[in-house]
Amino acid sequence: MAAVTLTNVIKRFGVFEVVHGANIDIADGEFVVFVGPSGCGKSTLLRMIAGLEDISGGDIAIGGKVMNDVEAADRGIAMVFQSYALYPHMTVEQNLSFGLRMNGNPKADTERRVKRAAEILRIDELMQRRPKQLSGGQRQRVAIGRAIVREPQVFLFDEPLSNLDAELRVQMRVEISRLHKELGVTMIYVTHDQTEAMTLADRIVVLKAGNVEQIGAPLDLYDDPANRFVAGFIGSPKMNFLGAKIVDTSNSAAIIELVNHGGARLRKPLREAFPAIGAEVVLGVRPEHFFEAGQGDCDIPVKADVAEHLGSVSYVYANAGPEELIVEREASRQRASGDHFTVSIKAERSLLFDKAGARIR
Amino acid sequence: MRTQNATAYRFLTPYLLIFAIFWIWPIISSFIISFQATRTVPWRFAPAFNWGRLIGDPAFYNALKNTLLILVIQVPVMIALAIVMAVLLNSPLLKARGLYRFAFFAPVVVGEVAYSAVFRLMFSLDFGIVNKLLNSVGIPKIDWFSNVTPAMALIMIAVTWRWAGYNAIIILAGLQSIPEDVYEAATLDRVSKLKQFFHITLPLLKPVIVFCAVLSIIGTMQLFTEPFLITERGGPGGGTETLGLLLYRQGFRSLNFGYASAVAYTMAGLAIAITLVQLWLMREPK
Ligand SMILES: Nc1ncnc2c1ncn2[C@@H]1O[C@H](COP(=O)(O)OP(=O)(O)OP(=O)(O)O)[C@@H](O)[C@H]1O
Ligand SMILES: [Mg+2]
Repeated sequence: MAAVTLTNVIKRFGVFEVVHGANIDIADGEFVVFVGPSGCGKSTLLRMIAGLEDISGGDIAIGGKVMNDVEAADRGIAMVFQSYALYPHMTVEQNLSFGLRMNGNPKADTERRVKRAAEILRIDELMQRRPKQLSGGQRQRVAIGRAIVREPQVFLFDEPLSNLDAELRVQMRVEISRLHKELGVTMIYVTHDQTEAMTLADRIVVLKAGNVEQIGAPLDLYDDPANRFVAGFIGSPKMNFLGAKIVDTSNSAAIIELVNHGGARLRKPLREAFPAIGAEVVLGVRPEHFFEAGQGDCDIPVKADVAEHLGSVSYVYANAGPEELIVEREASRQRASGDHFTVSIKAERSLLFDKAGARIR
Repeated sequence: MRTQNATAYRFLTPYLLIFAIFWIWPIISSFIISFQATRTVPWRFAPAFNWGRLIGDPAFYNALKNTLLILVIQVPVMIALAIVMAVLLNSPLLKARGLYRFAFFAPVVVGEVAYSAVFRLMFSLDFGIVNKLLNSVGIPKIDWFSNVTPAMALIMIAVTWRWAGYNAIIILAGLQSIPEDVYEAATLDRVSKLKQFFHITLPLLKPVIVFCAVLSIIGTMQLFTEPFLITERGGPGGGTETLGLLLYRQGFRSLNFGYASAVAYTMAGLAIAITLVQLWLMREPK
């Protein structure tokens, strides 16, 4: 059993605090992705779990046992590094078996484990090669193989795919997913790529500047983000944010005016909080949630600037006053630059945030 | 393209001329001289005169034996020491790293005469600090300059003192090019620091170590300054005479350029041969 629990974990480098009390519960066998922009502390968090970095405060428990002062090698984890970190002077086989050999593991067992890892990752053919004779994807497989051989309770991945080209990345993503199903162990995966996060994760932990912003299943984060940062980070292309103002509140709804769109108004039902009349707010609308004119609750005219046609869909970058909006349209509805058209927003397909970025529900 | 090359060569001409006159020509010329009897006027072609003498000359074998002995002991000890120094320099625990780096490198910068004089003082029989220190731990005084074995040891100590830091700096550069995450991966693999050193650091340093070894072999084959200045021209009684010193005595004391040239070519040939063997032994497995 290897659940991983982080309780108020703090990390300081000197006086500089980079992780400000993270609380994360990861269930046994779960695939959790840490995602966030560069420098937000993802790697630091992962390295603290691995034991490569000291913990300045709080507790990290693996399998119910507090690991703060346990050596990295004794934590039952294996880590796959972004740079692969293969031993350059050893063959693939030696790379896989090195740790076991150095610890006097019985030869037959080492061979069995290496063989199994090679089969799982389909690298049997490469066993006698050295890392520099391998392609990026093959090196990544070897790095994962080295982790498998350790038979850990928890796998840690630090941006394992970021050095691969787009096609290989998709392929390896599927492989890692398959691996998780096959091995059924806990996996913690760090990335700044929200697509990777969405496709791999059972649950996503969104981080920003050393704070946990939200934890949840991918689609929960997509549908119901806790704040503007999460809303903007999850989903591709990004959510549009339209400047707005509360002009009235009544009958468990707020009337909001889109200040950059000629006073267009929208009635947004609210359950929890009612902001003051006159308050500045932000309305978030995903590119795929702009409807045809008249089909939503509020129409706004826009002017196409650039259109990207991806085949199944097109993304139109449209100007509307000072705001640039990204609008998704089916490919058949191609737009040329300079076209004027109208899009419509539905109240239930939009999200309201206060000026500080907190969600107003 | 052609004209560009021609222009480039025109700019290079002054250098190439000097290179040809002061490098290429002496190399060719000394090769020719080594086949000439240079004790007669005019010099005449006599292949057996120098090379024949070399093969039967006890002074040559004495110098060769001394040179190889220094090579075989001093180079490995120095390289091992340099590796240890480099690892210490690279340690994150070390404070004032720049200072140590400079201190290790400084001996190379010190003038040869000055350093030799200091070594003579330090190892002097009655006034030297080394003998005083040995005395203080109960070891009797050693007469470093009048017995062959201590004199040879002194040469090796001096050469090692002078060049170990230099090699350590080169090896340090090699150490710093090994990525940190390889060690982290090994740590997660439960490989101890000592095993990491022998199974990761050393193998990855091999090219750098070979480079240092080749440089040191070439340097030691030409060893001249220390036996000339510290043990006073290869003393006691030729006990520390090296090939470099023999060459000097023959060429510039006895003005026997033919024989000196033959010795010079022997030194170069040996250095090349030893280096090739070394490279072959340390080659990358296919
Ligand atoms: N050894 C260190 N000393 C001082 N500060 C550090 C150290 N390592 C990381 N930091 C700082 O901690 C913060 C978080 O770094 P971290 O490497 O965890 O970011 P990350 O989320 O992994 O970013 P990326 O996506 O670029 O890898 C950064 O501001 C970084 O500058
Ligand atoms: Mg990182």
